[in-house]
Amino acid sequence: MTRTPVSRPSKPSQRTKHIATALVVLVVVWATLTVDVRIERLPDLPADLVRIFGRLFLEPGPEWSYFPTAFEYMMESIQIAWLGTIIGAILSLPLAFFGAKNITSGLVSNIIRQLLNAIRAIPEILVAVVIFIPMVGLGAYPGMLAIGVHSVGTLGKLSAEVIEGINPGPVEAARATGGRPLQIQRWGVLPQVLPEIVAFWLYRFEINIRASAILGAVGAGGIGEALVQSLLYRRYDRAGMVIIVVIVVTILIDTASGWLRRRIIEGAPGATATEDRSFAVARADTDFG
Amino acid sequence: MIRFENASVTYPGGVHALKNLTLEIPDGQMMVIVGLSGAGKSTLIRAINGLVPLTGGDLTIDGVSVPGAKPKQLREIRSRIGMIFQTFNLVNRTTVLNNVLMGRLHDAGTMRSLLAWYKPADIEIAMRALERVGIVEKAYVRASNLSGGQQQRVGIARALAQEPKIILADEPVASLDPPTSHVVMRDLQRINRELNMTTIINLHFLDLAKVYGERIIGMRAGELVYDGTGDKADENVFRDIYGRSLTADDLMGEAAAAG
Amino acid sequence: MTAATAPRVARPKRPSRSFVGLLAFLVFAVITWWAASEEYGLNFDIPELLTNLTRGADILAEFWPPDFSVVSRTIAPLLETVQIAVIASLIGCSLALPIAFLASRVTAPNLVAYILDRSILSVVRALPDVLYAIIFVAALSIGPLPGILALILFNIAVVAKLLSETVDGVDQGPIEAARATGANRLLTVRWAVLPQVLPNYVAYSLYAFELNIRASAVLGIVGAGGIGNLINEFRRFFQYDALMVVVIEILVLVIIVEWISIWLRRRLV
Repeated sequence: MTRTPVSRPSKPSQRTKHIATALVVLVVVWATLTVDVRIERLPDLPADLVRIFGRLFLEPGPEWSYFPTAFEYMMESIQIAWLGTIIGAILSLPLAFFGAKNITSGLVSNIIRQLLNAIRAIPEILVAVVIFIPMVGLGAYPGMLAIGVHSVGTLGKLSAEVIEGINPGPVEAARATGGRPLQIQRWGVLPQVLPEIVAFWLYRFEINIRASAILGAVGAGGIGEALVQSLLYRRYDRAGMVIIVVIVVTILIDTASGWLRRRIIEGAPGATATEDRSFAVARADTDFG
Repeated sequence: MIRFENASVTYPGGVHALKNLTLEIPDGQMMVIVGLSGAGKSTLIRAINGLVPLTGGDLTIDGVSVPGAKPKQLREIRSRIGMIFQTFNLVNRTTVLNNVLMGRLHDAGTMRSLLAWYKPADIEIAMRALERVGIVEKAYVRASNLSGGQQQRVGIARALAQEPKIILADEPVASLDPPTSHVVMRDLQRINRELNMTTIINLHFLDLAKVYGERIIGMRAGELVYDGTGDKADENVFRDIYGRSLTADDLMGEAAAAG
Repeated sequence: MTAATAPRVARPKRPSRSFVGLLAFLVFAVITWWAASEEYGLNFDIPELLTNLTRGADILAEFWPPDFSVVSRTIAPLLETVQIAVIASLIGCSLALPIAFLASRVTAPNLVAYILDRSILSVVRALPDVLYAIIFVAALSIGPLPGILALILFNIAVVAKLLSETVDGVDQGPIEAARATGANRLLTVRWAVLPQVLPNYVAYSLYAFELNIRASAVLGIVGAGGIGNLINEFRRFFQYDALMVVVIEILVLVIIVEWISIWLRRRLV
């Protein structure tokens, strides 16, 4: 039996890929050439950085006596993040239900999702600086409110997606028993989504700790203020202490929260791999889909 | 008595799932519906408790029209109809007992059901339902830890906990192996006889239908093509329903029937 | 009941209320009380908050209508924002690649490098981008450079962590095959691991770029270049209607970048 010769396939066209790459390169070149950085100063950069690192941590070393104050500031940041996250969680849950295509009609859920997107798009610091500080003045309140409002956006979107992903079976079963709408949500939807949503709240808390640390720098309470003040008065040793406190406390909370989140999710059948989850969750902060 | 009068269901895409169906189901009957997927079995069953609304004709249960029922009335009707699903549709994350108690949702107060703080009377009903299907010892076990057959029995218990007059079962054994399927079908048969409950079951396997069905309905393309007893359902009848000859896929298997 | 029913089985006892659930609730309640209390916390007072909000509500009226006459002043800072984001993404994502490989059990050459790398990554991740910017502004001078540096660090932290988790989950098959041909570690990583994680790497890098745009929009508030500088200026002079324009521009910029990112992700991989 003879075999008809098969011609070798040609390499598939990668034109769009090349165009995309070319565009990216173009933008990069433009940015590098036009940015307002003095090229001649660049070689000094490593030395400058080493010097600042030394001033912060090495000589004469961080100001340990400042620790109690720094710690207090950090606690304030945690409190701001905690209450802000709670505000965000409470407000986001009903919005998530209304924003879920399988619970409310397409029109309503669309409007709510767009609203959530709009809220998400504005960074907390902007919300605080532009809206809440003018409204209620400086202090912890604007920080808490800014974090709360921004969190409603992300948490609302993530929670709505979880709700949209449920198995409709138990919901149908609840309907078939003649249950009222609230009962159907409580027994058909909620048990399926609660662990994942609570895990999102915890993850959001971790992020909000960082946000509240930043907000302190613009006067919204917390440790950011300590950092700005100490650098302003060139007390680098003090700044070094502040940085250490921020890093240590953040890592501790991240670890505890991460452990708790994993414990909560482990009880959930069908949990996705850790990596997919953390990226999916992280993406939600920027994804407008 | 359940009565379909020229009932039709046309889905938004244009699919005629039910075409002018006229059918009477007397109280206490054990009726089995057979037919290909898409023949209308699922739609027929879901029309009875209004999960799928009729687009034409009428359906009455003891004289009360289901399509015409207002939401509150519809919930009342549903509470008296227990439904069992192919995929069990249990709430995996909670206990067997909480699942069965979902059958009490309509009669329990909203606050109580939201907090899972049911009255002792309701818990008693749930427990008795579990005893009737023989798995009361698993009452506090997480639903997802049970086998398929056990989960379906929880589904049956949930339906029984409603203290219904009618039981609907949509392919209740399609996800189960043959021996377990027979156990579940026998449970349903027993419930039908002991409690004189109208039982309507969708089945895929014709031999199973003949064994357990007092009356067999054959559906094809939304229309009723056979209505009679099991012994009269021969090869010809089968071809009417399925549009082809009997194959091995249509029978669960005789060896299993002995089990 | 007929004789056919099974003999009666004893009903199980109701298990005691979940200890863990109660404990969790208690911990939550204590922390919330601590955060909101007057003595230890923020003195969270809802009536006071509501009064403040309602009093401040008329400020919101000053935001509208936006003062579009300032748009010409915003162009240069906006471009600077984009520049910062682009450069930081480029450098940051490039550096993140080797760092991610060191941070994964699968590709790290030895235990010491692995532990060191992961520890440093944890530390770097713990500081938010704006705090880095504050430090670099103090160390260098105001302008885009501290912003770029801050975002590079932030980028590395985010992308390296995500990428290392991906590498952890990579299919071992091709690695085994590469070793079998006698390839050294570097070649194995290049040909057996990198192709598997490349789509993810591109996705993470684009994501980091989106983050950078949003971050660089606000870095200027602390002096690190970009449109944030203008925000401070408008704020200082209570020009809320001008501020509104900036906010709208940032929103538009972020959305556009988002679309570009989606488009790129589909084309580049």
